[in-house]
Amino acid sequence: MLDINHLDTFYGKAQALWNISLSVDKGEIVALVGSNGAGKTTLLNTICGLLHPASGSISFLGERIDGLTPHAIVELGISHVPEGGRVFTSMTVRENLEMGAYTYHAWKRKDETIKQVYQVFPVLKERERQLARTLSGGEQQMLAVGRGLMSRPKLCLFDEPSYGLSPILVAEVFRVIKSLREQGITILLVEQNVRQTLEVADRACVLENGRVEVEGACDRLLTSDYVRKAYLGL
Amino acid sequence: MLVSALNIVINGLLLGGLYALVAMGLNLQYGVARVLNIAHGEFIMLGAFITWAMYTKFGINPLLSIVIVGPIVFIIGFIIQRTLFTSLRTSAPSQPAFEGSSMLASFGLLFIIQNVALIIWGGDMRAYSYYNFGINLGGAVFAANRLIALIFAVVIGIAFYIFLVRTRIGKAIRAAAEDPTTAGIMGVNINLVLALCFGLGAVMAGLAGVFLSMCFPIYPVMGLEYLIITLIVVVLGGLGSIPGSFIGGFILGLIGSAVSSWQPSLALAAYYFIFMLLLIIRPKGILGK
Repeated sequence: MLDINHLDTFYGKAQALWNISLSVDKGEIVALVGSNGAGKTTLLNTICGLLHPASGSISFLGERIDGLTPHAIVELGISHVPEGGRVFTSMTVRENLEMGAYTYHAWKRKDETIKQVYQVFPVLKERERQLARTLSGGEQQMLAVGRGLMSRPKLCLFDEPSYGLSPILVAEVFRVIKSLREQGITILLVEQNVRQTLEVADRACVLENGRVEVEGACDRLLTSDYVRKAYLGL
Repeated sequence: MLVSALNIVINGLLLGGLYALVAMGLNLQYGVARVLNIAHGEFIMLGAFITWAMYTKFGINPLLSIVIVGPIVFIIGFIIQRTLFTSLRTSAPSQPAFEGSSMLASFGLLFIIQNVALIIWGGDMRAYSYYNFGINLGGAVFAANRLIALIFAVVIGIAFYIFLVRTRIGKAIRAAAEDPTTAGIMGVNINLVLALCFGLGAVMAGLAGVFLSMCFPIYPVMGLEYLIITLIVVVLGGLGSIPGSFIGGFILGLIGSAVSSWQPSLALAAYYFIFMLLLIIRPKGILGK
C-alpha cells in the first residue's frame, strides 16, 4: 500500500533521514519506534507532504506522492494525526471533526462519519458544542484521533497518540487502534511506548539517527537482544 | 442636550459602521494571511474612485457599483496574494521574517496603487451627490446616504460572520487562522484559502470605499488616513478577532463622534490617545486572545 524507497530528507541543510526504505501492506499496523530525534516525526511529515524528500520516492497505492501538497495527499486517503494532537482550540469539538472531513468526498458523508466517531469516543459527543480548548489533554488527544478518522482514510499516520496520557487512556488508545485495523484501516504508528506498541503492531521499524536500525515482525523484535536491551530495558 | 447626545450617538454609529467594515477586512488579511497590509486603505480609495467614475461618467447608481467594485478588488487582492505574498511566504525563513517582509512589500503596493490612481484621476478632491438629503430622527439630523452606508456595513459584517461560522470554507478560514499547517493536513489548500482571505479583505475595503464616496469627498491619497484609523480599530478589537473589529469599529466611531462634536480637529488625536492607552493597558484588545 505504502512504499518508501531510499528516502533522504533534510531540515534546511541538516539531513534528518538517511536512505529510509519501508513498506506498509494493506491491513497492517506498522510501528515506528526509536528515541527522541531519531526521525520518526520527520518521516511521517515527509509522507504526508509537509516536507519534501531530497531524494528517494514514496508511493501510495502505486502512485508517486512525494512532491504532492498535504491537501492532495489527504484526498488520496492518507490521514495524519500530528504530534500533540494539534486540535483547533478556538473551534468546537464538532467543528474540529468537521475539519477532519474537509476533503470533498468526506464532507458529503460527514454527519454519518461523526456518528461513527462518537460511538468510538462517547465523551466527544458529550462535549460536542464545547470549544476544544476547554477539553482535558486526554480528551484533546481523542479528538485529534477522531478528527483523523473523519476523512475516511485508507492509511492513518499516528504520531504518538498516547503521549502524555494516563495509563488507562493509553490502553484506550491502543484498543481504538486495534479496532481500526478490524475496520480495514491500515496504520503507521509512531510511539515511545515500545512494549505496548510491539504487542499491538504486526511489524515494527526501529529508527536511530535518521536511519533504519532494525526492521521486522514484532514477535521477533520482542525477543531480539538489541530491542530488549535498548528499548525494553531488559 | 438630549438632542446633541442623540446626534453624537447616531453620527458615531454611522461612522463606526464604515470603520468596522474596513477593520474586518484588515483583520482577515492579518489574522489569516499574516500580512499587515499597509496598502489596505488603497483598496478603499479604489472602491471610492471606481464608484465616483461610474456615477459621474455613466450615471451608474453608486449602490450598483457594489457588484462592480467587489469583483474587481477581489481579483486584485487574490492575485497579489497568489503572486507577491505567496512567494514571500515560501522564501521567508520564519513567520516573523515573513510578517516583516510582507509589511514592507505592502508599503510598496501602497505607493504603486496611489500613483496609478494619481495618473488616472489626478490629485483633486472629488465628490458627488447621492441621497444627500437630511433625515430627522428625534431632532438629530443626518444625511440619508450615511444611513445607507451603515445598513450595508452592518449587513455585510453579519453576513460575513455567518459565512465564517456556518460554511465549509468559512471553517477552513478559521482553522487556517489558528494553525495553517494542521489545516493543510486536514485537506485545506492553504495557498488558496490565504488568497481568498486577502481577496475578501480587499472586498471589504473596496465596499467601504463605495459607501464612503457617497458621504465624503474622496482623493487619491485618502487611503493612509483611513489605514491608521483601521489599525487602531483592529488593535482595539483584538488582532485576529473578526467580531472584535466589528465592535471596535463602532466604539471608535462613537468616540470620534463625541470628540468631534466638542472639538472637530481633536478626533484623530483622540484616536491616537486611545491607541497608546490600549497598548499600555490591554495590548491584546477587547476580544483578543
